[in-house]
Amino acid sequence: MMIFLDPFTMALISICILSLLGLPIGHAMIGSSILYLWLAGLDMGTAAEQILNGLYTSYLLLAVPMFILAAEVMNAGTMTYRLLHFCNAVVGRFRGGLAQVNVLQSLIFAGMSGSAIADAAGTGKMMQQLMTKDDKYPASYAAALTATTAVLAPILPPSIPLVIYALVSDASVGFLFLAGIVPGVMMALAQMSIVAIDARRKNFPVEEPVPLRKLPGLTLRAFPALMLPVVLLVGIRGGVMTPTEAAAVAAGYALLISVAIYRSVTIRQFYRALLNSGRTTASIGMLLAGAMVFNYVITVEDIPHSLSELLLAWDLSPIQFLLIVNVLLLALGCLLEGTTILLVMVPVLIPTAQALGIDMVHFGVVVVLNIMLGLITPPYGLLLFIMTRIAEVPLAHIVRDVLPFLLAMFAALAVVTFVPDVVLWLPRVFGYSG
Amino acid sequence: MLERARAVAGWFYRRCENLAAVMIGVMFAAFLLQILFRYGLQWPTGWSNELTVVMWIWVVLFGAAFVVREEEEIRFDLVYGAVPYRVRRVMILASAVALITLYGYSLPAVFDYVTFMKVQKTAYLKIRFDWLFAIYVIFVVAVIARYLWLGWHALRREDVSEPDPTKASSGI
Amino acid sequence: QDKPKLRFSAVFSEQDIRAEMMTLFSSMIADDFTFEGYYGGNLFKQGTELVALQRNNLEMGNIAPQDISNQIPAWSILTAGYLFRDAAHLKAFFASEAGAEMKQMTEDQLGVKVLGPTYFGVRQVGLRVDKEIRTPADMAGIKLRMPGGDAWQFLGEALGANPTPMAYAEVYTGLQTGAIDGQDNPLPNVENMKFYEVMSQIVLTSHLVGFDLLTVSKTVWDGMDADQQARFQEAADAAIDFSTERHLERETELAEQFKSVGLKVYEPDVAAFRTHVQEKYLASDLAASWPEGMLEKINAL
Ligand code: NA
Ligand code: NA
Repeated sequence: MMIFLDPFTMALISICILSLLGLPIGHAMIGSSILYLWLAGLDMGTAAEQILNGLYTSYLLLAVPMFILAAEVMNAGTMTYRLLHFCNAVVGRFRGGLAQVNVLQSLIFAGMSGSAIADAAGTGKMMQQLMTKDDKYPASYAAALTATTAVLAPILPPSIPLVIYALVSDASVGFLFLAGIVPGVMMALAQMSIVAIDARRKNFPVEEPVPLRKLPGLTLRAFPALMLPVVLLVGIRGGVMTPTEAAAVAAGYALLISVAIYRSVTIRQFYRALLNSGRTTASIGMLLAGAMVFNYVITVEDIPHSLSELLLAWDLSPIQFLLIVNVLLLALGCLLEGTTILLVMVPVLIPTAQALGIDMVHFGVVVVLNIMLGLITPPYGLLLFIMTRIAEVPLAHIVRDVLPFLLAMFAALAVVTFVPDVVLWLPRVFGYSG
Repeated sequence: MLERARAVAGWFYRRCENLAAVMIGVMFAAFLLQILFRYGLQWPTGWSNELTVVMWIWVVLFGAAFVVREEEEIRFDLVYGAVPYRVRRVMILASAVALITLYGYSLPAVFDYVTFMKVQKTAYLKIRFDWLFAIYVIFVVAVIARYLWLGWHALRREDVSEPDPTKASSGI
Repeated sequence: QDKPKLRFSAVFSEQDIRAEMMTLFSSMIADDFTFEGYYGGNLFKQGTELVALQRNNLEMGNIAPQDISNQIPAWSILTAGYLFRDAAHLKAFFASEAGAEMKQMTEDQLGVKVLGPTYFGVRQVGLRVDKEIRTPADMAGIKLRMPGGDAWQFLGEALGANPTPMAYAEVYTGLQTGAIDGQDNPLPNVENMKFYEVMSQIVLTSHLVGFDLLTVSKTVWDGMDADQQARFQEAADAAIDFSTERHLERETELAEQFKSVGLKVYEPDVAAFRTHVQEKYLASDLAASWPEGMLEKINAL
């Protein structure tokens, strides 16, 4: 004898079971939403309607394939390589020089790419090789550092997660991008401090200092690449382009200087960059599609409002609520892939955040920072997995070495959460009225 | 015979890859033209905007149907990745049956919606929405076919690739 | 037994005057129906509500006339600039025989019953630049943000400006940075989106009376008896009148408020604009699908 629960409960159970069975999460959400429509006696064509119109009307999301393309082009050419040389000339001379290069390079790369994965797989791979050559650094330390520094990419603009957050929250992408800058730089400084302490304690090597007279030449050669973040920010703030168009400009700029100045990207490489962007776009697109139709179910069931009423009845202060959000998202981040959390959990939390008077731009940075830290939090941390693969060392060793960095990043998260001014100062300078 | 089928499938797969790359390329070019027209020539364009959106819908659904490989899918693999293959086989089979049932059962309603959309056209390029949205029907049919194939392989105990979280990229 | 459900979807937010209008409406039909309102485009995206109504996935909607004209080209006349003079003219039209003719088209061709026009303010040109505007000639070279789509861009051109499409959410930044010189929206929108902070003047061109259509699916309408239908229509009329009144008050208030924060607010030579725009329409392809004699009937009201 089978007991039929209400359609929404059945859909939730279905999502859990299908995901546990290993079905791609997008399909699990679409399939379970179809089940809901079926059991509730609604038009199942709504699945197609919500996905197609959702994709058709979310113009903002078009930035995603373009930002991926930009990162692919930069990794295909010698652009990132030149940046490494430049970074080495600047900070290589200090104790633990290469480790500092790793941080600085990620900070600069973060200004051009919106994806932590692209950073780890691109320059991260190069850094790993450089740091472990001649056993200069323990492989697990290099891998832990590379994973931690990669987290910067989506905090500083441009950022794919911030674009997705803008979509679910209606907050302005331009201001969200500005809001990430101070926290991102703060995190990079924290990472550099830890490296400096480790360098002294563990006696890390110094790189052969690049003569200062060579610095202008290296800077000149890295200059076009270094200008990209400036071009993007000035372009967006100056009203020359929308954030979505800026994504395409980033890709175009990377392609232009790679071909015209560095003479490094071949047609073949450009084709691979396009294809890889298409692949990643399709796999994120499935998550988006799943979230769009599942969001219809959640709206019909009035879940965000009910949750908001429930939480408001507890009489939470904004600080308490943000604390709960941090714990919840970090816990989920240990289990789930980040975009899924952003698309499914965050929309449910937004009405409560709004009711508590939390600024949507501030909330966005808090949420995205949480999700990024989820990438280096064991047991399920995508960046840790990628570095295990690249460094060929056991996960446990990387986890051991990542812990001090992780603690520092949690401290940064606490500052970002409880001192909104750190996040909102820069947007306000540029006219944000929140 | 089997060799030939594999060769044809491989050829078909590469053409699908070509198409996905072209769609991203068209999007990229349309964006750059749009900025150039607006600021270089003071000539605002609506069509380029629409073209990028059209490419976006198609690249997502076409790519998900024909280009994304099993190991690239974003999934919850804490359990899926940890169990031995014989257990995973059962899991694949169960999820394939569920997905084929749900997608298959929704297909007539989906088809009905997509064909209904013939009443509207896009604002600039005047593309009829039933043509634009037809990709969803293709997507559903392709997914059903893909899961029939996956289920069949699991049933015949053929080896499938190990799940690999590092290959799945969600762009974050 | 359970009362039938009325799912209503709209793009405006829960704080909008029109959400109050719907609350008023729902209280008046509470004996016959259970009203479920979804706001902010949460259930169906902007522009997709009409198809949802046609497919019975929605019982009621607030539909833009542009969406109807997408399926019934004759309706495009109701989206033209300088067609209605004001809210009273708009109301008079929909109550007239000519209005009934247009409404009958949506019933016959779309299966959707129009209850009445929901007025949300007259569109006025707002500029960041200081230049005084009297006639369409003064608009030359001004980058005026208009909504996307051929019809809107045409209107911008007919006003004498250089129309630029831009997402609504980007307009504030666009004005701030000078990517655009101006925008055209009803005053309540200018207040909502804080555009007045980054503009120096509002030219009361009154070039388009903004309205949507409160609609109900024919399935629901035909399911009611004559008495119920009369009550339903009466509730809609009362709710719409309430909302229109509130919007008119708000517009007067806002014009004063904008003046008091230092914006120039003035009327240009509206007659010159009207003549120029109507001529442009009649000379264009857009007027080809307009029903014979409809423009004259509307002008005569
Ligand atoms: Na790095
Ligand atoms: Na970034």
